[in-house]
Amino acid sequence: MTNVEKYNKAFMETFNVEEGILSTLEYQGVDDWDSIGHMGLITELEDAFDIQIETDDIVDFSSYQKGKEILSKYGVAF
Amino acid sequence: MSDAAKGFSLNALELQKYQPNRYPFLMIDYVTEVIPGKCAKGYKNLTNNEWYFPHHFPEGPNMPGALQLEALAQMLTVALTTLPGLAGSVTHAMKHIVRFRKEVLPGDRFEIETEVISWNRGMCKGVGRGYTNGELACEAEMLITIPTILEKYLPKKKEI
Repeated sequence: MTNVEKYNKAFMETFNVEEGILSTLEYQGVDDWDSIGHMGLITELEDAFDIQIETDDIVDFSSYQKGKEILSKYGVAF
Repeated sequence: MSDAAKGFSLNALELQKYQPNRYPFLMIDYVTEVIPGKCAKGYKNLTNNEWYFPHHFPEGPNMPGALQLEALAQMLTVALTTLPGLAGSVTHAMKHIVRFRKEVLPGDRFEIETEVISWNRGMCKGVGRGYTNGELACEAEMLITIPTILEKYLPKKKEI
């Protein structure tokens, strides 16, 4: 599975959304991306890529696109 | 094993340092053992004088299921708020799955056992079980938060 596939899978499974809406998805953009969902997503991504995301990055992780930028700091290339 | 790992007890007065609920909503009387960040167990003694028995129900008093669940959540909270720096913190329920198995009646001692499954970034997954007379009365999977911690990890809301 590629990194993009892993990344998309984390979003789709955490928020129960279709792949087609991911590119424009933002925090609180769907009901399931609330505070619980946010922490669930972070945990999924940490497990998927075997990384530990810093607090400032968790706060900045405000959209699907922003998340890609953040993960690149942890060596995850898309 | 360290002293902290062995756990300690909290009497009715002491537990109020760690559990912010008060009458008529304090649903635990005694913490027989808490290991901070790991587990907490104790009990609630139920007398005919509990405020809800005359209403739930006049002809068949029993402890409301919502309050049984609340008692489990309050005990689980103690397992968190006995961690350093968290005494008396307010917790919020986020998601609970509960199963009730028998009525909890006046005169019963409602024994409570809770365990922390995970505790990270202000969110706790835990389980709890309530017993009367040695029999399982209810059990729950719980997701609770300490909002003051959780909020530090959330993206800022957009300005409108």
